[in-house]
Amino acid sequence: MSIDDRAASILPIEAPPQELVRQPAFDVSPLTRFGFGLLVALLYAFLLMPLLIVIVASFSPDTSNTYALSRASLRWYREFAGSDSFVSAFKFSVWLAAIAAAISTVVGFLSAYAIVRFLRKRRDVGQALAMLPMMVPHLLISLSLLLMLTRVPMPEIATLIIGHVLICMPFTIAGIIASLEGVDPELEAAAYTLGAPRWRVLFEITVPLVAPGVLSALIFAFIVSFGDVYIALFLSGPGMTTLPIEIFSYIQWESSPVVAAITTVQIVLIIVFGLMVERLVGLRAAMRL
Amino acid sequence: MTRDPDSRSGAFAATLLSPIGMLYGMFLVAPISFFLLVSFFRYSPQQLYLPTLTLDNYTRLLFDPYYRGIIATTFRIAAVVTLATLGLGYALAYFLSRVGHAWRGILMFLVVAPLMTGVIVRTYGWIVLLGSDGLVNRALVALGFVRTPVQLLNTEPTVIVALVHIMLPYMVFPIFSALVAQDPHLVPAASTLGARPGRAFLEVTLPLSRPGIVMGSALVFTLTAGAIVTPALLGGRDVIMMGQTIYQLVLSTFNWPLGAAVAALLVLCQLLVIGVYFRKTRRVH
Repeated sequence: MSIDDRAASILPIEAPPQELVRQPAFDVSPLTRFGFGLLVALLYAFLLMPLLIVIVASFSPDTSNTYALSRASLRWYREFAGSDSFVSAFKFSVWLAAIAAAISTVVGFLSAYAIVRFLRKRRDVGQALAMLPMMVPHLLISLSLLLMLTRVPMPEIATLIIGHVLICMPFTIAGIIASLEGVDPELEAAAYTLGAPRWRVLFEITVPLVAPGVLSALIFAFIVSFGDVYIALFLSGPGMTTLPIEIFSYIQWESSPVVAAITTVQIVLIIVFGLMVERLVGLRAAMRL
Repeated sequence: MTRDPDSRSGAFAATLLSPIGMLYGMFLVAPISFFLLVSFFRYSPQQLYLPTLTLDNYTRLLFDPYYRGIIATTFRIAAVVTLATLGLGYALAYFLSRVGHAWRGILMFLVVAPLMTGVIVRTYGWIVLLGSDGLVNRALVALGFVRTPVQLLNTEPTVIVALVHIMLPYMVFPIFSALVAQDPHLVPAASTLGARPGRAFLEVTLPLSRPGIVMGSALVFTLTAGAIVTPALLGGRDVIMMGQTIYQLVLSTFNWPLGAAVAALLVLCQLLVIGVYFRKTRRVH
């Protein structure tokens, strides 16, 4: 039984509008239509080309970024697997992203719930404040945390985690707010009337109803943290280098298809995660764009 | 009414909001305020900064030709990238708003996928494409346009093209949202009243999508002006933007006050642009 069915069996609630309206096309000449179609095709090629070329280059048999697929080899994937610095950076990135995503989802859920249910007239203000880390350049966040580190005695790893939690927060909050808007407040009110305390209502009624939204926020935060450069650029140190920073410092000096292999692994990972979010709630709802 | 959900809701809401309040207060607002304060401090090679207030860092930025050049480059690139992504992103958003449901999901995903892979992956893609043995140079040589590979990396146009590529999704989604929010009967109504397609678009669809245009442009401008990694990898020493300057000042020369002043100036200009942009659009409505 899906969550929507379960909700419907408790109280008949109206499903939130899922499908977007398809806008009517303009009645233009076939030539204009063809020209526009061509432009769109070129734009897609432009968007995807740099990613496709990396994937192709990762199967290169030699050090040049060749595109001869007939001689495809897995040499650079073996190189990646055998490289201590890249493998440990990869592991560290996964570890960091998992922690940052978990913290920002929990804090984000509590904040989103308060914003949707309790702020009422001040809701717009609350929502805007919650988006603060997105409005400040990430560069500024990481620099000021680095400066703080010189004044306040705290472990470096903590600042790195906090920096990542901060940049993930707007995404988790926006995604969870979108899910909470689909939950009928009457369901919670019904539980109160039956005598349940607030925290119990929150965890036994609300959380299960928005579980897909919360899970997709978690995945989304993981993606944001995993791809981050700006926070880690200033806050990562010896023994705590993230994968993007390891790649950044590597390609400043040399270029070899091993980077293509690593980025291909990353692309595949992120696409799988992206599709999971799409399955759960739809990407647009998760990004709230 | 002991079971009124509204009683003591203030305390409950405060409890729910305390983690985010502490997080943002201690690690976002306080450090950034202090960082901005440091931009008014004096540089000291031994202690990072001396807590005596001065405007020297700002006057140096505004009058030293080296820094003026960097500031000009940064905002020139940000402006060009914003305009280019606006044009291209509008076309893509318009297309997505008109495409059938069966295809929309996958076509949207293809726009988001590059965004999710992160800046490094996409910048690396451009290095592979534009390097001296890259696909573009091979094509140019094979087609006979040039004899030997041309220098594409370390030029400003390359930095701009890569930044347009990186920023495009940020422009597409706000505009798309504004387009699909429009009443689908408006365009047929305009044409019933005799408006030709071009006029209906310019007078109905385009003005109504203004919130998306504003949102997307503000986002792209801010993100581009603060770019570090892309200009550092694709522009080398020849294209230096404010982000790289901050990086160098803070991590190489340890001149925190000057670095903070560059960052403060960057943020101030970004806020100014966003403010003007939003004000302009509010007046139109």
